[in-house]
Amino acid sequence: MDAAVLAIWVLRIIFLALLYGFLWMVVRALVRDLRSAAREPTTELGRLVVTASPSGEPEAGASFALDAITSLGRDVNNSIVVEDEFVSATHAALTYRGRAWYVEDLGSTNGTFVNGSQIDGLSPLAFGDEIQIGQVKLRLERARA
Amino acid sequence: MSVNTVTAGMRAVGRETPRFRITPRFRGRELTLLVIVAIALVAGSVSLGATRLFEAAQLAETAPPTDILVLASPGLVLVYIAALFAVHGALVLAGRRTDQILLPTMGLLGGIGLLFMIRLPQDLAGRLGGLAQTQLLWLVIGLTIVAVMGVVVRNDVWLRRYKYTWAAAGVGLLLATFVFGHDINGARLSLTIGPFSGQPSELLKVILVVFLAGYLSENRPLLVDESTNLGPIRLPPLPYLAPMVVMWAIALAIVIVQRDLGAALLFFAVFLLLLYVSTARFSFVVIGLVAFVLGAGLLYFVFDHVRVRVDIWVDPFADPTGAGFQVVQALHAFARGGLIGTGLGAGLPNIAGRPPIPALHTDFPFAGLGEELGLVGILAVLGLYLVLVERGLRIASAAQDEFRAILAAGLSLVIGVQAFIIAAGNLKLIPLTGITLPFVSYGGSSLLANSLIVGLLIALSERTREPLPPPRRPGRLRRLFDRGAA
Repeated sequence: MDAAVLAIWVLRIIFLALLYGFLWMVVRALVRDLRSAAREPTTELGRLVVTASPSGEPEAGASFALDAITSLGRDVNNSIVVEDEFVSATHAALTYRGRAWYVEDLGSTNGTFVNGSQIDGLSPLAFGDEIQIGQVKLRLERARA
Repeated sequence: MSVNTVTAGMRAVGRETPRFRITPRFRGRELTLLVIVAIALVAGSVSLGATRLFEAAQLAETAPPTDILVLASPGLVLVYIAALFAVHGALVLAGRRTDQILLPTMGLLGGIGLLFMIRLPQDLAGRLGGLAQTQLLWLVIGLTIVAVMGVVVRNDVWLRRYKYTWAAAGVGLLLATFVFGHDINGARLSLTIGPFSGQPSELLKVILVVFLAGYLSENRPLLVDESTNLGPIRLPPLPYLAPMVVMWAIALAIVIVQRDLGAALLFFAVFLLLLYVSTARFSFVVIGLVAFVLGAGLLYFVFDHVRVRVDIWVDPFADPTGAGFQVVQALHAFARGGLIGTGLGAGLPNIAGRPPIPALHTDFPFAGLGEELGLVGILAVLGLYLVLVERGLRIASAAQDEFRAILAAGLSLVIGVQAFIIAAGNLKLIPLTGITLPFVSYGGSSLLANSLIVGLLIALSERTREPLPPPRRPGRLRRLFDRGAA
């Protein structure tokens, strides 16, 4: 009689202990995951991926980590130098203001386009939007976590 | 030399042809966790079986059988464990780099639910040979959904492009329920089409998150920076919020008319959370909470059934055998459970062959688990929901674009908030609303909708684009060497 009661009690405890064993394993995995994510530098605020570039500079498929202010153009002093004959020396600027990205045309000859329509002045930009300057198309993406 | 180049060329061609060849990818973490889940479920089943044998012997006043270590309903538990490993196998064969923690966590919650259904009187519900068998059938169908989503769904264009279509389909589904549905416990929740019947509001919660994610990701810059000025007060940009609020209000109004208060609360909470997640504007939350208080007050005075629920919550002991019966019994169940519970199968004194709480398998499994597994057990269950939410938010923060991020956050928060609403309702922390405990409660619609959520999360968790420049990947280098050696 007592042996049976004891056995049942032990079984109950084993079941509960296994639940916590599972949780412990999971939490360990989660913590390891978070640590490895934290080790990677994640100071970047977004990423610009080149989707089309006929001139090959920058290459299609290249991606750039963005700072709060990023300028685009043919001049070598730009953050991202775009060698395309339809791009002006200082063509456009991407700025991160508080919580959102903006793109601004800096008086370029051929204009700046967001998702196919030309912008004038400052225009808000969402992740996944496509910017076109000259023949070069770039897509704004979230920072890699 | 020439021979060498020819073989190298041929090998290269041989490599090139099956371009979409799928390489199985070992999922070690998932396997380890699933093994623990399997051991835990077998242990729980043995515990339940032993308790039952012992109590039967006590009831018959015979000596307890010497060999009490038997599984309760071994067939059901083993079929379930086999189904879990089958899904694992499918995900391994698919060879994608997807999340490895969601499946075991969901599996353990579902397994605890299955053990609980095995423990309850089998004639409580279900057509197919009883409660536990029906539940197992739904669990297996749910796991199949997870496997199919985890293997097949590789992009989300079909979700993000047709958000208004999805929203319209969801509202249509609810309207159909309202017109053609039938009443259960004073709430018109079920829709029967042919031999199938289900609760569309469960599916609607998934559709709502898809719609909100689509809308918010598209209009986030506007919502963040524009505002409507009303004199000195800066309000959120009302024109941009309007379509979303209208959609959401339609869903909410129908739900309220259908008296599905739990779903209404869930929708409202998820709406506010997603608005905050995507804009980081705290003013949205404040305005939402004020609207909630006003709305709740209005509902309290307008609708009888809301008033009844709140009055029960304020004082269930005012009518302990009538209106407050379930809540009072649930509180007693928690009290009997204490710290480590009575053990699976030992709780819930039957009154004339019935458990004291009528809706134990749907609305009150948390109270039942509280009695049989105690505070320790239900804390573990809550921990499992926390893990699901954490995983979802991690997937969201690693997502490559807004839509995926908001979708992943929303899907996991739906499960978390739903678990909170019903657990808190069972504990008399908030007024009780009839809603299921995800993966644990009995019920097909709920299990399928939640499986859909986990399947989507697993599919979304894949790192879609390879990390760009991959200069020195050992695998690639080795392949180069192989080719050179050949």
